[in-house]
Amino acid sequence: MTKKTVTSMLLLMLALTVVLAGCGGKSNDGGQAAGGNENAADSGSKVTINFMHLWPAGSSAQQNKLVNDIIAEYQNEHPNVTVKQEILENEQYKNKLKVISASNQLPDVGVTWAAGFLEPYAKGNLFAPLDDLLSGDLNGQFVSGTTEAYAIDKKTYALPIELNISPIYYNKAIFEKYNLEVPQTYDQFLQVVQTLTENGVAPIALGNKDRWTGSLWYMYMADRLGGADTLKNAINRTGTFEDPSLIQGAAEIQKLVDMNAFNKGFNGLSNDEGKSEFMNEQAAMYMMGTWELPNFTTNPDIPQEFKDKVGFFKFPSVEGGKGDINSWVGGPGVGLFVAENSKVKDEAKAFVNYFVQKWGEKSVVDAGVIPATKVDTAKVELPQLYIDLLNELNNASNLTLFADVQLKPDAAQTHLNMIQALFGKAVTPEEFAKKHEEAIAEGN
Amino acid sequence: MKIVSAGRLPAEQSYEGKSGLGKIGVGLLYVVLVAVACLQVLPLVWLFIFSLKNNQEVFNLPPFALPPSPHWENYAKVWTEGNISLYFFNSVWVTVISVVFTVLLASFVTFAITRMKWKGSKLVLGLFMIGLMIPIHSTLIPLFSMFLKLNLTDHPLSIILSYIAFNLPITIMILLGFYYALPREVEEASVIDGCSVNRMFFQIVLPMTSSVVATTAIINMIYNWNEFVFVNTFISSDKFKTLTVGVQNFIGQYTTDWGAIGATLMISILPILISFFIMSNRIVEGIAAGSVKG
Amino acid sequence: MDKVMSNKYVIALYVLPALLLILAIIYVPIVLTGYYGLTEWNGIGAMKFTGFDNYARVLQDNAFWQSAGHSLLLAVFSAVSLFGYLLVALVLSGKVKGANTFRKIYLIPMLLSSVAIAQLWLKVYHPTNGVLNSFLESLGFSNPPAWLAETSLVLGALFIPILWQYAGFYILIYYAALKNIPASLEEAAKIDGANAWQIAFRIKLPLIMEVIKVTIVLAVVGSLKYFDLIYVMTDGGPNGASEVMASYMYHQAFRGFDFGFGSAVGFVLLLICLIITWIIRKLTESKDTIQYS
Repeated sequence: MTKKTVTSMLLLMLALTVVLAGCGGKSNDGGQAAGGNENAADSGSKVTINFMHLWPAGSSAQQNKLVNDIIAEYQNEHPNVTVKQEILENEQYKNKLKVISASNQLPDVGVTWAAGFLEPYAKGNLFAPLDDLLSGDLNGQFVSGTTEAYAIDKKTYALPIELNISPIYYNKAIFEKYNLEVPQTYDQFLQVVQTLTENGVAPIALGNKDRWTGSLWYMYMADRLGGADTLKNAINRTGTFEDPSLIQGAAEIQKLVDMNAFNKGFNGLSNDEGKSEFMNEQAAMYMMGTWELPNFTTNPDIPQEFKDKVGFFKFPSVEGGKGDINSWVGGPGVGLFVAENSKVKDEAKAFVNYFVQKWGEKSVVDAGVIPATKVDTAKVELPQLYIDLLNELNNASNLTLFADVQLKPDAAQTHLNMIQALFGKAVTPEEFAKKHEEAIAEGN
Repeated sequence: MKIVSAGRLPAEQSYEGKSGLGKIGVGLLYVVLVAVACLQVLPLVWLFIFSLKNNQEVFNLPPFALPPSPHWENYAKVWTEGNISLYFFNSVWVTVISVVFTVLLASFVTFAITRMKWKGSKLVLGLFMIGLMIPIHSTLIPLFSMFLKLNLTDHPLSIILSYIAFNLPITIMILLGFYYALPREVEEASVIDGCSVNRMFFQIVLPMTSSVVATTAIINMIYNWNEFVFVNTFISSDKFKTLTVGVQNFIGQYTTDWGAIGATLMISILPILISFFIMSNRIVEGIAAGSVKG
Repeated sequence: MDKVMSNKYVIALYVLPALLLILAIIYVPIVLTGYYGLTEWNGIGAMKFTGFDNYARVLQDNAFWQSAGHSLLLAVFSAVSLFGYLLVALVLSGKVKGANTFRKIYLIPMLLSSVAIAQLWLKVYHPTNGVLNSFLESLGFSNPPAWLAETSLVLGALFIPILWQYAGFYILIYYAALKNIPASLEEAAKIDGANAWQIAFRIKLPLIMEVIKVTIVLAVVGSLKYFDLIYVMTDGGPNGASEVMASYMYHQAFRGFDFGFGSAVGFVLLLICLIITWIIRKLTESKDTIQYS
């Protein structure tokens, strides 16, 4: 190597250093250069709306296509608007949202979860209130009770686009083989579990590494024993987790564990792995949200003979319990927010308004996603399982939002860890209740 | 270079036993070596089989069982899913630039610390070592806001600089052990010859350390190639994203397309496998070059 | 000689680019992390300065110390397993027929990303149809454990893939170090009548001592801040039984939105690394460095 090249290389490096060294001094003059796009929002002039979501074309082809269709239509109707998408996978999406919000750099429109997840963003004034949209075009379009999950201090910070309830799916063929009936009461349910274990069939598929999966079971126990309000009150602090019915609910979970009601090693399995026990017919039942329906109806990868075997039932009522069999664990899933400091806030709101309506019209048919806006089952062509569940949804006496979504993020972590401990019998029901009390008290 | 190769002992000699016991020992050694080698190839075989399954088969079939009808369409899907070739290209150039700069800068620093005399060399070494110890997740928020102020978010420089900076400490640490062992006579001789430090570094020291340079280059390459936290956080435009993002494309809100992930992983491992095999030879050649000078 | 080798201009040229880079990209975050640790901050909105509250909380937090214990255990295992890697490298660097091919094959797993490795080992450990349990059942064990679900087993079950994952890395470094030893030394020893073991332990090992010391630090520090496979395979569960410091930090900051506390955990992690590294350096300090001659 000649001296000349050496020198020029070093110069190059030096240049790199200078660029970097600049960061120390320059850091303040940038100020709040927010937005990340240089389009001023003059009406009529070109506008770019940044939209961050979590439906990649690979894994969520139908959702992705639907999003693209809606965007294309919107851009057609509003030639001055360009919607730019950024797509991340669920977990990475949450991480990125966290990092960029620390610098107040949210996309103009994005996806959020309800209640506990949304609260810090709403209280930190990062999300714009969308009540004006709710009282406008969208008035009366949402299934009642869904938008409330996104409301903090009477302002709604996001509009839901998903609605789910969690039935227990079961394998009709296995039930038939052992002469089992769909259980109406919890005692019958225990009988079913008993019969299945005696015959060497895992009664319930569960992947509890993800922990919210086990939380569903606890929530139903709590609901059927203590009624719809006991758990809600415990979370919003008008009640307590040490309520006898909630402790008993925890004890019932451990009783199920003792009966070997769940597949082996459930605490070390992801939801995907747990689910596969049901999909390959080694387990007879599986409790999951209605987002799983495409797998039991339309998904071409899954053999039709299996799909034909899948039915569902409601979590049975418990004798002496205060709960109602038509009370469901579920609620709205993700919703759309508009960033408070978006430079194109009005355009972004208009887009969300449009998106929610179009999504509502098409999502269940095109993508198998039940929207939070009302679906007229008479008008749409759907597999029977969908229709039955949509009807159940219409008859629901109550929807209890997933506990890990209701709770504030840090308390939600405790809840989820405690769920795993409860199922793993590492804590007693009393300790389980006490830890919840401590965690929630800390958060207030 | 030939001088050294010729100077090496013929292959059989070193483990050639003086007794029958030695022969058995050598035989046993080979049995173990081959067994371990088979074990180490299995992950690749597994990944390949995995990439030919659909979700049902991924969970239902034993890991090494071929599916009844291999799902080659996983590859087609991954390939036509758009942008893979772009991601691929980005991965290549980001990795190459980062590796070259990391290894060169690290060699400079290590040379200055181990071979040159100056106050503060211990302190500087300490600073680099501390750089090893910070978990990346606690750097994300401050780094993002810094890049934001520099207008470097969604700019490839943000990930390149992060890769270089975060790999410098480990690279320097690895080089360190090798530099300490270099004989002093090297510099003495060259200084007497009237060499400048630059010439000494580029013409003598760098070639002498080329085996460890190749080693660190391989390690850096693997790290950068597989990195995704920084890419996801700092880059938002598709045009700058790298291959690891391709995996994400198949992780959905509630479902994950495992077969397609397998195919993506399989595609993305090939280039690194090939360059690894090529660079890995450099390690041996490096010694040859080094020994000539030593 | 000394004059040439202490040329300030050259030193600055060689050291400054890299130094400035890590100061900007690593030290700014380190300092800020330390500072965030002094605040109550959910990552959004205003920070509330709370002094050393978070640090006090970390020090009193059982869950943190439990995770620190797991990390330390991993560090010990990693350091011990270096011996095994060294042995493999010694064998491969010897004049074994096909050593070159063996070496390449041995390092293949290192090329796999953590995503792939995690999936592979999840399949190995699956409680009912996993490779390991199928094997155990074929040996006649009727009820093999669910490796990743038992709090008493999960940590050990995770260590194996982690150690395996890094085997290639260390073997590669040792191999390069051993290959860097001039062949003339070995020949001389052979002429003196030394056997293979003597050459390995009396001549080769002392010569690569500096490299070994460095790898000990790398292995220990790497283990103390280890995150990848644990995050994917168990997410710290069940019930915190496989939580390590980095995953605990991540859970607090990113899942629990407690960024102040999470940062404090990150900073304490850094301090623990520092202390342990210092101890290692003290323990392995030697008077002279041995050079090839």
